[in-house]
Amino acid sequence: MSSLSLYGVSFDLVHLLLTSIGSVLPYPLDAWITNGTLVLVLSVLVFAAILLAASMINTIVLIWWERKLLGRFMDRRGAMHVGYAGLLQNFADGLKLFRKHTFKPAEADTLGFFSGPTAYMVTSMILFGVLPISTGWNSGSLPLSLLLALAIFSFAPLFIFVSAWSSNNKYSLMGGMRSAAQMIAYEVPLLLAVVAVVIVSGSFDLTTIVTEQQNYWFWGPLFLALVVFVAGMLAEMERIPFDLPEAEAELVEGWNTEYGGMLFAFFMLADYLRGLVGSFLVVLLFLGGWTMPSWVPGALTNFPLAGIFWFLVKTYLVFGLFVWIRASLPRVRTDQLLRVGWNRMIPLSLAAVFLAAALVTVKCLPVFGCLPSPGV
Amino acid sequence: MTEPLTATEKTSDNPILWVAKPMVTAARQFARSLLHPSTVVYPFERLEDPKFRTEVGIESGKPIGVGPIWDNYRGVHALNIDTCISCNLCAFSCPDLCIDMVTVPGGDPKHPKKCPQIDYGKCSYCGFCSDACPEGCLSMTTRYELSVHSRREMVFPPEKLFGIYQQKLPMNPIRVERPANEDRIVLEPPLCIGCNACSRDCPTNCITMMEIPKPEAKPGEKLPKRIWKEPVINDSDCVRCGTCISVCPKECLFWGSRK
Repeated sequence: MSSLSLYGVSFDLVHLLLTSIGSVLPYPLDAWITNGTLVLVLSVLVFAAILLAASMINTIVLIWWERKLLGRFMDRRGAMHVGYAGLLQNFADGLKLFRKHTFKPAEADTLGFFSGPTAYMVTSMILFGVLPISTGWNSGSLPLSLLLALAIFSFAPLFIFVSAWSSNNKYSLMGGMRSAAQMIAYEVPLLLAVVAVVIVSGSFDLTTIVTEQQNYWFWGPLFLALVVFVAGMLAEMERIPFDLPEAEAELVEGWNTEYGGMLFAFFMLADYLRGLVGSFLVVLLFLGGWTMPSWVPGALTNFPLAGIFWFLVKTYLVFGLFVWIRASLPRVRTDQLLRVGWNRMIPLSLAAVFLAAALVTVKCLPVFGCLPSPGV
Repeated sequence: MTEPLTATEKTSDNPILWVAKPMVTAARQFARSLLHPSTVVYPFERLEDPKFRTEVGIESGKPIGVGPIWDNYRGVHALNIDTCISCNLCAFSCPDLCIDMVTVPGGDPKHPKKCPQIDYGKCSYCGFCSDACPEGCLSMTTRYELSVHSRREMVFPPEKLFGIYQQKLPMNPIRVERPANEDRIVLEPPLCIGCNACSRDCPTNCITMMEIPKPEAKPGEKLPKRIWKEPVINDSDCVRCGTCISVCPKECLFWGSRK
């Protein structure tokens, strides 16, 4: 692990703190406090706290980004008055939701009603922890981190369904059912599109996938897979045009109809956190992660934390694409979604897999690599 | 983009039609709105602000928005107390009964000067009062910011309306012309007792009391006990306010058609 790794930083921080505390304590206490186990446990906690803060701040800024973009798409200005250009508006909204009374409908099932949003939130946060953002910012090298991320990503419909069912509301239940039905349609092409990336890069490790893209990003040769992946990601994140589970024109607010206050904020934050993570995945798999092409001047890529900076720039641009799609396209019907999923996206993704295999076999990948690079 | 879809287009799932075209339209809108969004950030920007009007490419004084909503905008009233003749016509014409005539300083003690006081809690901004005003002293301005903290503050006394007049705001220029065949006030002479009430209260002083010859009393007949004068109304000065009709003790004045 490099010296600037996130875990290393938190370990050093805790170690420094504990040794300085231990130096002023008497004998039995200082030995106990500078004990390696305590340092390890605390540094893991600090690591988790940093991840939590980073994920929440990014999520809230992402909501601001969507509000501003969507405002311009609709000939408005978006949030304006709290903070610079309304940047603090969502923090104010979050505080308001935090202060609100949390209630439960009389007939709702208590365990499901409260555990659903919590689990939804928690799995989305785990997802944020799994993905590497730069060479330093990762949770260690997991050989199957791509599979792990996609597996955790697909948990969500289960928790949506649990909370929808236990809300004891017909609109919630319909939203939950739709969420479960929709999953069948998009999950298969999404994974097939990922298979194309795996064939080209030869690894399930996201860090390796990004390293493979140092010479050319994958969006050029695997454009077909990118299209399928973005469409599937839209359905996975339940954003317009695939936001059937919370179609507010038909089902009041879909599966979160009965939720208010902080529980609603959980759903909202987790939704956008999943949006963030979905954009992360697009950037990691197709847009070269934290790497930049070689023709970019070195001054723009060599400053400290440049990897994280460029990664976030790409992420916000990809999310801008999602917002653009949201501003343009109408919501599809369930049967249309299923038809698109089975009849169009699965053949397309199979074609993408075949194309990837063919490109690897005849070794002409760099020809389609859209960015010139030193290696080719 | 505005043509209706054909039957084949409705049933097809052509990605050009359903994905590419809407996205291009949205992108074009985004680019346009990036420079000039339609929203006016109201308390900080105003359409009437000359600077803002040049920014959005509207000449000063030109109407803004859909239709001519600016120059004939009906906002709060402006009252010129100096030219008000206390004729009551504004209060008569008000459909919401929101105008009261209240005393203002400046008249002679016997006949105090009265000017309109407007309750904006009731006013519907129809503009009938400014149409009815014969002297053009009650007009509607373009001011629309009237928020106050209590209902009592919604009642604007004449002094406040005069203050708005003194700010020289743009005023609604529309005024209703008086019809040529307007009704006039006629007198039924046998009932008149020559009491001078109409002449005294006329706001335009267009009524003069003319002496009439006292008839010879026939034997056995008693002459009515009255002053031998009768009102003569100068129709060109009369504003048809009807004050004389309401003050006449014998009800001998009434509206009649012009012959």
